[in-house]
Amino acid sequence: MNIEIRGLSKIYPNGHAAIRNVDLDIGSGMFGLLGPNGAGKSSFMRTLVTLQSATSGSILIEGMDINEHRQKIRAMIGYLPQDFTFFSKLKTWEFLDYAARLATNLKKKDRLIKVDYLLDQVGLLDVRERMANKLSGGMKRRLGIAQALIGDPKLLVIDEPTTGLDPEERIRFRNILSDLSQKDVTIILSTHIVGDISSTCHNMAMLNKGEVAFKGSPEGMIDQVRGHVWQVTLGDEEFTALKNKYSVVSTIPVEGLWEAQLIATNQPHPEAKNVNPNLEHAYVYFMENQLGVSLV
Amino acid sequence: MSAVSNILTIARYESKVVWRNWFFRIVSLAGIGFVVIFNLAIFSEIDQPRRFELSNSWMMPYTTMVMISIAQAAAVVFLATGLIKKDKKLDTNEVFFARPISNLDYVLGKALALFNLFFWLNLLLLCIPLIVNLTNPNTAFNPLAFVIYPLLISLPSVIFTTGIAFLFVTLLRNQPITIVLLLGLSAVELIYYFDKFSYILDFMAFRLPMLASEMTGFAHLNFALWQRAFYLVAGLAFLFLTAFFLDRLASHKRVKLLTGLVGMVLVAAAAVIMIRLVALRETPIALRQEMIAVNGQWAEVPNVDILAHLIHLEQVENKLISTSALTVKNNRSEPLAGFYFTLNPGLDISSLTVNDTKVDFERHLQVVSINNAITLQPGEKADVEISYEGAIWESVAHLEVDQERYEFPRDYLMFALPKKYAYLQPDYVLLTSDVLWYPDTQIGYSRESPRKERTSFIDFQLEVKVKESQTAVSQGEIITDGNVFRFQPEYPLPKISLAIGAYEKKEITVDSVTYAVYQYPDDNYTSEYLGQLTDTLGLLIRDIVNEYEDGQKLTYPFRRLQFVETPLLFAAYNKIYENQQAYLQPETVYWPEEGGDIREFDFRRQLKDMDEQAKRDNQVLSDKEKQANVFKDLIKKVFTKQSGTVWFYGNRDEDQPDYSLFPQLYSYNSGVVSRDWPLLNRSISSFLRKDLQTENDYSRNMNGISFEEECNELLRTTMINEILTSETNFNKINKSVSLKGQYLFAYLGQLLGQDEFKGFVQNWINGHQRQLTSYGDFRAALQQHFGLDIDPVIRQVYFSTAQPAFEIDNVQKFEVLDGDRKRYQVLLDIKNTGDNDGVIEVKFNADDGGNDNQFSRRREAQQVKEEVPGYLSVIKLGETKQLGFVLDEKPEKITINTLISRNIPSVITMSTGTFSPRKLTTLFEGEKVLPPTEATSQSEVIVDNEDPGFSTFSPVEPTYLRAYLDSKSPSDQKYFGSWHRSRSKWRATTGSNFYGKSILSAHFTRAGGGDKLATWEVTLQDEGFYDVYVYMMGKNQNEFNGRDDNNQQFNYDYTIHHSDGTDDIKFNISKAEFGWNYLGSYYFGRTGGKVVLTNESDFGTVYADAVKWVKQ
Repeated sequence: MNIEIRGLSKIYPNGHAAIRNVDLDIGSGMFGLLGPNGAGKSSFMRTLVTLQSATSGSILIEGMDINEHRQKIRAMIGYLPQDFTFFSKLKTWEFLDYAARLATNLKKKDRLIKVDYLLDQVGLLDVRERMANKLSGGMKRRLGIAQALIGDPKLLVIDEPTTGLDPEERIRFRNILSDLSQKDVTIILSTHIVGDISSTCHNMAMLNKGEVAFKGSPEGMIDQVRGHVWQVTLGDEEFTALKNKYSVVSTIPVEGLWEAQLIATNQPHPEAKNVNPNLEHAYVYFMENQLGVSLV
Repeated sequence: MSAVSNILTIARYESKVVWRNWFFRIVSLAGIGFVVIFNLAIFSEIDQPRRFELSNSWMMPYTTMVMISIAQAAAVVFLATGLIKKDKKLDTNEVFFARPISNLDYVLGKALALFNLFFWLNLLLLCIPLIVNLTNPNTAFNPLAFVIYPLLISLPSVIFTTGIAFLFVTLLRNQPITIVLLLGLSAVELIYYFDKFSYILDFMAFRLPMLASEMTGFAHLNFALWQRAFYLVAGLAFLFLTAFFLDRLASHKRVKLLTGLVGMVLVAAAAVIMIRLVALRETPIALRQEMIAVNGQWAEVPNVDILAHLIHLEQVENKLISTSALTVKNNRSEPLAGFYFTLNPGLDISSLTVNDTKVDFERHLQVVSINNAITLQPGEKADVEISYEGAIWESVAHLEVDQERYEFPRDYLMFALPKKYAYLQPDYVLLTSDVLWYPDTQIGYSRESPRKERTSFIDFQLEVKVKESQTAVSQGEIITDGNVFRFQPEYPLPKISLAIGAYEKKEITVDSVTYAVYQYPDDNYTSEYLGQLTDTLGLLIRDIVNEYEDGQKLTYPFRRLQFVETPLLFAAYNKIYENQQAYLQPETVYWPEEGGDIREFDFRRQLKDMDEQAKRDNQVLSDKEKQANVFKDLIKKVFTKQSGTVWFYGNRDEDQPDYSLFPQLYSYNSGVVSRDWPLLNRSISSFLRKDLQTENDYSRNMNGISFEEECNELLRTTMINEILTSETNFNKINKSVSLKGQYLFAYLGQLLGQDEFKGFVQNWINGHQRQLTSYGDFRAALQQHFGLDIDPVIRQVYFSTAQPAFEIDNVQKFEVLDGDRKRYQVLLDIKNTGDNDGVIEVKFNADDGGNDNQFSRRREAQQVKEEVPGYLSVIKLGETKQLGFVLDEKPEKITINTLISRNIPSVITMSTGTFSPRKLTTLFEGEKVLPPTEATSQSEVIVDNEDPGFSTFSPVEPTYLRAYLDSKSPSDQKYFGSWHRSRSKWRATTGSNFYGKSILSAHFTRAGGGDKLATWEVTLQDEGFYDVYVYMMGKNQNEFNGRDDNNQQFNYDYTIHHSDGTDDIKFNISKAEFGWNYLGSYYFGRTGGKVVLTNESDFGTVYADAVKWVKQ
């Protein structure tokens, strides 16, 4: 699976430019799309799954222009939108079967086997008879994944899948995606939660204000912040002074003092020590230092 | 995935979604409940259903479909808009939008989901009438009806409503606005366009006439099918357009374009259908106008008369092939260079010969003219043979009926019935002269010359070839030869008619007249309920006929009388110049299929009612007696009109079917033909016709004055000939014409002697049976007999608009002992204060007790009332006459009919009340002119509600709705119906029970807290003690509380303002007498005083009429 995106822009009728001139190449495996709220991730993904057309630019999926071969491309993709919570009055299995009938050519028997298989996979077999809108938030997400997977898609587009999920659900969800990425499926995952990407994606891009701020591997992104992440333990007054000057990533109160991690090009305090950066540090660094977005 | 599979998938699951929607479930349950109750109440044997509800096997499924049509359309609007609405938060939908389905799949799938549910709902709902139908042994079951009506009604409506709801919500992107808009549109259709435009806009088929006849099936199905096709195709078009406009990227541009294109093609197809529909409606309307214009061109062109007419007719499918051999004669005093015939424009003439010579002719729609081919000298005859064939265009019939009436529906249960004026279909034929199925020389209606009277009757002969097992019915003696029926009327007739069908014939000959019933097989319905009459039928008929002929003083002129069942949809109209409808043909009555909705044909129910009646009266009737009563009831109420219905509403029911046999005695038998007085013939007919007229017209209760009084008002301002050609509504024209006729003959009766004059006219007709006479001869004979030329009288009556006004005064009633015989003397003073001489008619009736109970009314109607002829009197302008009556039986009511006058009510009915006993003095019977009385003395002063001394006051504001409605239709209406009690106003109404000079009126209002006041203020010439009286309706006031009021007493609150202050009086109206009631005696100064009535009363309505001050 190969997706080639060139010069993609989306400007809404009200003049808001949600995506600007995006160039991306996405191959097989899991691809993470990181960015703050309003960065244009959902617009990008909706464009990718043919729910809206681009204002300019092109998307080629397996060499097929998305505008020319919408039907074929729709047959290839599975999509889980960001806000997947409202269901019409259908039971869990019915909802999945509805999707299955539209996505596959399977005979009824095979289809029902597949429906139950997927329900089992996402841990919803026990609630197959329950009305879909009576499921918990996590269950709804999992049902969302199941419906996205039902047609054996080659491209899975998942928009902010872990928002509002408790940690346990989030881990479970990541595992499902990791398992999938082992198969020949391209998964595009958008999120503003850094952990989702760091734990699963080998490739990623960061969007900000509709533009690509970074593309590459998570490690590549972390590399850029190496040497700029500091840890220091300080008293109240000093910490306040420092907080106003630098981006503080984390603070932990320790015996009346503050243990803070912060990002600075040079040593911010004589007692500050360099620590090993992670993707979260890289994200903050990018947002604050490269793009001038105040995150804290 | 194929499109079909996608659509089915979407339909399957969206159906589930809608099915789980509480709204759908509630609506369905309500619908089922409603249909169950309705079917049980109307069609099941729980409450004995009426015959007409059961006899038509198409009715039950049709009714159910119509009943649910509006609610179903509304439900579809709600559900459809919910199904397709695009909610921004509904990302869940987007997972389907990202699937490989086309927009059309999506839209059609959702639509199919709705269709699916409504299909099952309809099926379920139809099971209800089906079960009732199958379990009720008295119904006919017609499986086809259960298939056809859902397809004709529900299917197009659901598809159309879904389509329009989908499209609107897609374009407007707002569900509430779409719902409001669509429901608003439906409401506009139902409220403003109800029964308009031939139901083209009736997308729900709520009123589109589609009831089929048991005899002949559907009528005008073509129109109904096109109408339904329009909504079906438009609905489909909207679905495609919805897919086109759907807010989702199309799978391919070409697919989108194609979807839009198909949508537009369907829109175009719908448009073509609409054009066709409009044409189907407009073509006959335009044709009728053209034909009226053609009639106008020929109306004054002299023509020949037909002496004899032999018709050979053969029916071939939807066509007839005929040859007419006519003998025509020039009855004019000048030669005729040509002549013309009328013939249905659907019939093509293949040859026309005059005296065996083929001649050229011109065709102008219905007029066939032979010009210059032959000249007929005065008195000369010619033989004409015309061969013609083709179809019958029905719209030719009844040209004088304006478009509104022509299109106005006939109501039947809850349907608008299709109207048929003729039948020419393979299994059935019904042709009356209204559709010009044979050549005639009488030109029809035109505006310039609305009436051209026939001057002579025609010797008809008819030979009809029918198909195997069919029977032809026409006038005259029947000679059958295989499948050829020859009809040879013994007498010349004004017209003939023809019915061909699978009739069964039953006949009986009584006193050399053969009575025949032609009927479609009715599952032994008649024999089951009237079977015991077989041996007594002859006697029964003889009794009825004798009674009828005695009553009418005319003899039945024909050798046979046939009652022919005709399809329910066969329609006829009242006419201005004729006294009969097309249901009456010479020797023939066309009665409606299975008796239609005529109660008297509902033998089962009639027998049941009779049982109940007998039980109440402790009577024991044998089955045979009961059946005889039912039979007599039918004949007397429907055909001879010797007993009538009790209530009617003037100005409505303009074309209520009339099966009265009277035209057989006069119109089809005789006639006085006048070029100058075309209304005369009808007036004679009304004058002679002694049908029992309906008594209680409730138009006064609705409008404040009766319809007759409205017409009197019209006649005061407009001459009759202007009314005839004006755009006034038909009822008003018709009523005004009858009033004039009635007045004319009452007046003539007064001049010539009532009985002598009537006797003369009856003798004239009996002496000129089966022929037409000329007005000239009639006038001359009258002049010779009575020495009076009626022409100036007619002229005066027809052209005068001045009307009399009568004041009835000084009614005296005495019971007198004449030997050992009690007799009753009634004296009335009647003064004419109007501006013309006038005639009044005084009648005395037995009281009906003011009893509104239907059963007692029915019983009364069943006992044939011997109508006592009224006493007529001419009262000249300014004259006062005393009329004296001596009666052997105590009369309960006096009815004074002022005919054409300013009086309101124009017919005054007074209860006679108590007769004071008096020793024998000279009884006065007759009339005398009283000397002019001096001005009323001041010892008695009356302030009526019409007088300036009367005023009303109301602080109550009308409700917003009422104020809005009033502002929408401001009117100068003076009187209001007593059924509309105003909350905020005192309003005037009229009636016999009120006080007045020539206008008997009172003010009335809804009872309340006492804040509304009516005040009578008086100034008096002399001071002194006065007795104060108020005018009361008496016991009539209580009439609707009479039965179960537990002796409840009602009071009115009066306050008397007199010289010594004020006195409050609670006056018990429950004990009030009709007329003046004493309130009390008070001292009044010369400044006078007043009486104030409040609206405080437990009785619902408070009336304020008149107050009288009488000096002690």
